[in-house]
Amino acid sequence: MSAMNEATAGEGAAFQTEDMIINVGPQHPSTHGVLRFVVRTDGEVIRSALPDVGYLHRSIEKIGEKVTWHGFVPYTDRADYLAAMFANQGFCMAAEKLGGIEVPRRAEFCRVIACELNRIASHLISVGTFGQDIGAITPFLHALRERETINNLMEEICGARLTYNYIRIGGVGYDITQETCGRIGAFLDHFELIVDEYNRLLSYNKIFVERLVQVAPISLEDAFQYNIVGPNLRACGLRWDIRRDIPYSLYPELDFDVPVGTGEKGILGDCYDRYMVRILEMQESCKILRQSLRMMPKGPAIAKVPRKFKPPAGEAYIRIESARGDMGFYVVSDGSEYAYRVRFRTGSFTAMGLVEKLSRGIMVADLIALIASLDVDAPEIDR
Amino acid sequence: MKYIKNIAETVATIFEGMAITFSHFVRRPITIQYPDRIEKPVQETLPLRYRGILEVDMDICTGCLACERVCPILCITIGIDMDKQTKQRTFGHFDIDICKCMYCGLCAEACPTGSIRHSQEFEGASYNPAGLVRHFVKEPVPLYKPKKGGETDPTMAQKVEIGLKYLDEFATPDKAGGAAAEEG
Amino acid sequence: MRELVEQALREGYFQGIPPEFVYAGAMLLTAFAVLSFFVAPLAGVTSWLERRVWARMQSRVGPNRVGPQGILQWLADGIKNLLKEDLIPAAADRRLFTMAPYVVFVGFLATFVVIPFGSQFIVADLNIGILYILAVTSLVVVGILMAGWSSNNKWSLLGGMRSAAQIVSYEIPAGLSVLTIILVTGTMSMQGIIKAQGWAPWDWLVFYNPFTFIAFFLYFTSALAEGNRTPFDIPEAESELVAGYVTEYSGMRFLFFFFAEWGNLYVIGAVAATLFLGGWQIPPVTDHPLLKGILEFAVFFLKAYFWVFVAMWVRGTLPRVRVDQLMALCWKYLVPLSFICLVGTAAWVLVWPQGNRAASIAMFLLGVAILIRFSLRVGYQIRHARPELYLKPYI
Repeated sequence: MSAMNEATAGEGAAFQTEDMIINVGPQHPSTHGVLRFVVRTDGEVIRSALPDVGYLHRSIEKIGEKVTWHGFVPYTDRADYLAAMFANQGFCMAAEKLGGIEVPRRAEFCRVIACELNRIASHLISVGTFGQDIGAITPFLHALRERETINNLMEEICGARLTYNYIRIGGVGYDITQETCGRIGAFLDHFELIVDEYNRLLSYNKIFVERLVQVAPISLEDAFQYNIVGPNLRACGLRWDIRRDIPYSLYPELDFDVPVGTGEKGILGDCYDRYMVRILEMQESCKILRQSLRMMPKGPAIAKVPRKFKPPAGEAYIRIESARGDMGFYVVSDGSEYAYRVRFRTGSFTAMGLVEKLSRGIMVADLIALIASLDVDAPEIDR
Repeated sequence: MKYIKNIAETVATIFEGMAITFSHFVRRPITIQYPDRIEKPVQETLPLRYRGILEVDMDICTGCLACERVCPILCITIGIDMDKQTKQRTFGHFDIDICKCMYCGLCAEACPTGSIRHSQEFEGASYNPAGLVRHFVKEPVPLYKPKKGGETDPTMAQKVEIGLKYLDEFATPDKAGGAAAEEG
Repeated sequence: MRELVEQALREGYFQGIPPEFVYAGAMLLTAFAVLSFFVAPLAGVTSWLERRVWARMQSRVGPNRVGPQGILQWLADGIKNLLKEDLIPAAADRRLFTMAPYVVFVGFLATFVVIPFGSQFIVADLNIGILYILAVTSLVVVGILMAGWSSNNKWSLLGGMRSAAQIVSYEIPAGLSVLTIILVTGTMSMQGIIKAQGWAPWDWLVFYNPFTFIAFFLYFTSALAEGNRTPFDIPEAESELVAGYVTEYSGMRFLFFFFAEWGNLYVIGAVAATLFLGGWQIPPVTDHPLLKGILEFAVFFLKAYFWVFVAMWVRGTLPRVRVDQLMALCWKYLVPLSFICLVGTAAWVLVWPQGNRAASIAMFLLGVAILIRFSLRVGYQIRHARPELYLKPYI
């Protein structure tokens, strides 16, 4: 198209074309949240797509300075409501590091179980909405059906389905009963078959594969430059997982693989690799859950933490592997019962920086696939 | 050859996909047709830990104001009046703004008797914002003083027991093994 | 039809009127009856059925409140849309904007005059029946282009252009598949094609030789693409930003486009049933004309509606293809394959002018084998992954 422009422009511009500037969002048909892209296209091919974020900014970090330590934990849920446990855990780990609190072993197991269940739920939404953006409406509903079971389990464990406030400073808020453990086990037995069915319905479908392979590959070089984390980074071929490489909590004792993208169906690091890494991660989470259920000891589920928690002055930086990548928590305390500064570093925010570079030269339909494959989450971007 | 392989793969995967959707077509749907086509109301099926709309049992509230202090979003307002002559303290008002409430459960955990707790109610829609503020004090109620040696009055004993049963769900540092003291 | 009118004339009705007017009047009346009592409720019930079918495939229920099992949902939708404000964008081309839905509607409605519902039940048995259908459905392109252009909206324009390219490209494999059948039957009239088949499945044209078998699937795919159905529903891609060429339409105008789409599904099914599946042919069970008419109508309706169900099923299963992949599919795969089918059938007809019964029965057995394999697969799925077991821990 552009070659034709230049050719005819030289002949007196008999066939003059202009670029269209189109607005994608903030009211989006797909469920990635409130995002806006200003897209400049030449017919079907995009010249550039600039993201415009900030529609969901709720000043959570500022609120952290005004609310007590225990009171801020519910707010961390809302930083990424699809993967709420991880934000809970990160902040609580930072507070525990500052206050020198030791978490009992049973509480660590409860935390791992809750987090891995939440990881499965978040990935289910991710692959479900991915399918829906590509046009397959049925797998989305199947993914939601499985997530319903996980929501029911979380309701049994902590009483809420989405914003859990389960992981508290010093341990967890409620203990997991024997009955719930049985139900989690039954769910896992059934879920692995469902993942297999889901793969056969969507992941191996030729039309789906053709839509995704060789679309917007991220090279490892770019991933480092733009600070991409999580499944996006693993899809580029690098086997980096905070749970394995900078271990925290119980992960050193648990045995699980870290799936990476292989690029067998297209280019390494394209949209299909990012999708498959998430499916494989769900299966790994099932392994982790089974081990934790087997190994969980008796004991208290929370340590003794004073009602008015006042950690000594200092700072802590905690990194955890959230569903969307490396989530960093930088917490500064000045000895009072309010934090001095709370800062979240999320993977989706840095992924938005890469969208502009990747979007040059792809088609409008591929932009949708690209955004869905990066699994960006508007609450995580804007906090 | 790649041409024929493409066609064969397309046909095979479409065949698989259609078999899967057809298998779901002939199964029973999983929808719960709330609110009219269900056997029992959803509220009865929710667990005790479910964090629904807050409710307060004023008969066992001691007026310690722990819930008001711990709430991160300041949705609980309690007013306690003291009668000058009899030195009796009564509640003037106990309001909870449920549209501000985050349903985090911190107030329920802080309560010593379990009088403020999350109920199983989740249908809180109202036609005007004023209807979303729940007032739990109709006429002035005296504060509750827990009796040493247990409660003798049977209705009060039942209320105290319900409150304590609710508090039992939370994890505490002394409880070993949790609600079911068996290997998890 | 013609015989009935001639009989009425002979018996002395319509004395003072010239016979041509009587014929024309009878034809118009039948067309009106077919269109309003058959097509309109059919398109509406198809919309309800589509939502129920999708919902069951997605493990949920679908509309089931309005009327028994929700069957009047389309009436509720229609009334709601009629009551909406009639919005025409200020900068839009008014005349084209208002006319576009009607052009699309005419493009699909005019095909119903040659659909053979039974051996006596056809409005007009043109001797170029199938060519008439192919020609008239091309009017839809004009309507869509008018809609896209007159909305004065970049998205609508994009959608309209994509749709025009898609429909025009897919006319070719559709036409070639139809030509394959015409080679075998020698006639283009719909009743003629049906009469060239028998009531038994191995007498149907789809099992006639391997080439017509492939031509059937090519026809079905091209017809889905022409009707803007998934996996080719790019012009109205719901999750891709906005609604394509129908973006600026609201209320009843919006519904007209979808009305045409659902009704078009039935036309696709009817043409597939006529050309490939033996139409209204029934085994010689009865001679009573009324019973025979009803049976033929029922058989034809079921055969056509089954393909409507398959179109809905495909929509629930497959993702969307991208625009350039759509064009590549058409020109690189469907067109060469349909040419191969055409040439193959021509050679077949040359070698075996009366048809090869053994080959037909062999193809029929192949079809049955595919169906058996399919049911086995469905059974495996049902046993293997059972979602309803672990849901609802309390209820």
